[in-house]
Amino acid sequence: MVAEAKKREIKEAHKRKKIMKERFKQEESIASAMVIWINEILPNWEVMRSTRRVRELWWQGLPPSVRGKVWSLAVGNELNITPELYEIFLSRAKERWKSFSETSSENDVEGVSVADREASLELIKLDISRTFPSLYIFQKGGPYHDVLHSILGAYTCYRPDVGYVQGMSFIAAVLILNLEEADAFIAFANLLNKPCQLAFFRVDHSMMLKYFATFEVFFEENLSKLFLHFKSYSLTPDIYLIDWIFTLYSKSLPLDLACRVWDVFCRDGEEFLFRTGLGILRLYEDILLQMDFIHIAQFLTKLPEDITSEKLFSCIAAIQMQNSTKKWTQVFSSVMKDIKEGDKNNSPALKS
Amino acid sequence: MAQVNGVPRPGAAPGQPCIFKLVLLGSGSVGKSSLALRYVKNDFKSILPTVGCAFFTKVVDLGAACLKFEIWDTAGQEKYHSVCRLYFRGANAALLVYDITRKDSFCKAQQWLKDLEEELHPGEVVVMLVGNKTDLEEEREVTFEEGKEFAESKGLLFMETSAKCNYQVADVFNAVARELSWREESKEGQRQRRDAPLTLSERPSWRGRCCAH
Repeated sequence: MVAEAKKREIKEAHKRKKIMKERFKQEESIASAMVIWINEILPNWEVMRSTRRVRELWWQGLPPSVRGKVWSLAVGNELNITPELYEIFLSRAKERWKSFSETSSENDVEGVSVADREASLELIKLDISRTFPSLYIFQKGGPYHDVLHSILGAYTCYRPDVGYVQGMSFIAAVLILNLEEADAFIAFANLLNKPCQLAFFRVDHSMMLKYFATFEVFFEENLSKLFLHFKSYSLTPDIYLIDWIFTLYSKSLPLDLACRVWDVFCRDGEEFLFRTGLGILRLYEDILLQMDFIHIAQFLTKLPEDITSEKLFSCIAAIQMQNSTKKWTQVFSSVMKDIKEGDKNNSPALKS
Repeated sequence: MAQVNGVPRPGAAPGQPCIFKLVLLGSGSVGKSSLALRYVKNDFKSILPTVGCAFFTKVVDLGAACLKFEIWDTAGQEKYHSVCRLYFRGANAALLVYDITRKDSFCKAQQWLKDLEEELHPGEVVVMLVGNKTDLEEEREVTFEEGKEFAESKGLLFMETSAKCNYQVADVFNAVARELSWREESKEGQRQRRDAPLTLSERPSWRGRCCAH
C-alpha cells in the first residue's frame, strides 16, 4: 500500500514537472516569437506578411504584446478612418445620448424612427453590462465601460445603415482589450465592413444562406458521417453558425482561444471562420454522433468550457478547405451563381 | 433555413414522454433567457445577449402525464426578427414575453403574435402572454389589466412573472404543459376524467380565460 502511494506520488510529481516544463517552454517560445515580430516582421510588414515563415509563426498564435498591432495591420483601413473622424462621430453620439435623456419625444429626423433609435441606444446600454460579465471590466464603473459605450455609439452614428446589432459588443470588447480606443474603432468599423460580416450584421438572409451552403460543401467533404447525421435530423448550420460567426467565436470559446482564432482569421479571412466551425465539429464528432437534434443544438450553442487550443487547432488543421479542386472562394462564387440561376427558374428549394 | 422536420412529434415514441417544441419570443432584454434558465436550472444570473437561438430541455411531470419541453430561446433584437421567424415553425407552444416596465416590449409582443398567426394555424399552438419583471413594480408601464385584457381578446393564456424572484415561472411552463397535454388527450379522444390533479373541470380554459392570479 505504502509503496503504491509512493509510486503514485512520484508519478504525480513527474506529471507536474512535465507540465511546468511545457509551460516554461511555451513562455519561452512566446518571448522569442515576440522578438521576431517586433524586430523583423513588423518593420517589414508588407514584404514579410505572406512569407511562409511568417504565416507559420502566425498560426502558432500572436504574442499578446503585438496582437493588436498585427490585427490592425491585417484588417487594414480601407475606409480611411482617422482618429479625428472617430472623435467627430463620438461627439455626435454623445449629443444624441444627451438629447435622448432631455427630450423623450422628438420628431423623426433621419428616416429612422426615434423609438427605434432610442431602443437601439437602450440596447447598447443593456448589452454593455452583459459583455464578458465575468471579467468585471465592461460593467458600469469598470475601467472599459465608457470606451465600449463610445465605440458602439460612434459606430451607430458612422453606419446608421447597419446600426447596432447584438453580438457587436463582444467584437468591440475583444478589440478594446488589445488596442487603443481610436485604433479599436478603426479596426471595428473595417472588420464589420468585410463582405461576410456585412452580410451577417445586416441580417441579409439570402447572403447568409449562401455562406451556409458553402460551409455545407466543406462540411460534407471533411466530415461526411457527421454531415449525414445532421442531415437526418434536418439540423441546418444556421442553428450554430449564427452565434459563432456573428460574434467571431468571442462568446462561444474561452477568450484566449477566441483570440487565437482571430489571429488566423486576420491572416486567412472569412474562410477561417468557417474552417474553425468545422474544426469544432471535428473535435466533438464522436460525441455529436451520439446525440439527437435538440442535444446537438444545445451542445453547439454552449460549448464545453474546457476546450483547449492545442486540441482545437489540431482539429482545425486537419480540415481541408480545398474541395476536390475548388477553394472556398471558388465554391462560394459557384454557390452564388447556382442560386442566381435557381432564382431564375423559380426553384422552390431555395426559398426558405 | 432552420430545421423543421427533424423535431420528433408528440407521441412519437410509445412509453416515452411526448416532446413539445416551445419557442420564447419577445423584444431584447425582456428576460426570455432568464425565464428559461430559472425554469430549467432554477438559476438567475447576468445572461449574455442571445445571438441566433439558445436551446434548453426539461421534462415536466404532470402527475398523470409526463412531457418534455424542447425550449427554443430566440434572440430578441428587432434585427434578428427575420431569422427568428424561421425558428417558430413546427412549434407546439409559444411564450410571448414582454417587460412590464417597457410599453414598447408589450407592443412588440403583439407584433410577434401577428407573425405567429401568419406562420402557424390558429389553434395549433398554445400561446401564452408573459409579463416579466414584476420585481420592478415601481417602474411598471404596463398594468396587469392591460396584459390580461389583450390576452383575453386574443384567447391567450396570461401570467405575470419575475425570473429574478422566481415568481410564477414554473407556473407558466406548467400551465402551458397542462394545456398541451389536455389538447393531446382530447385529440386522441381520451376525454374520460382521470384520477390525476389534471381534470377537465380544473384545467384553465384555452379561450377567453386567464389563468393568472
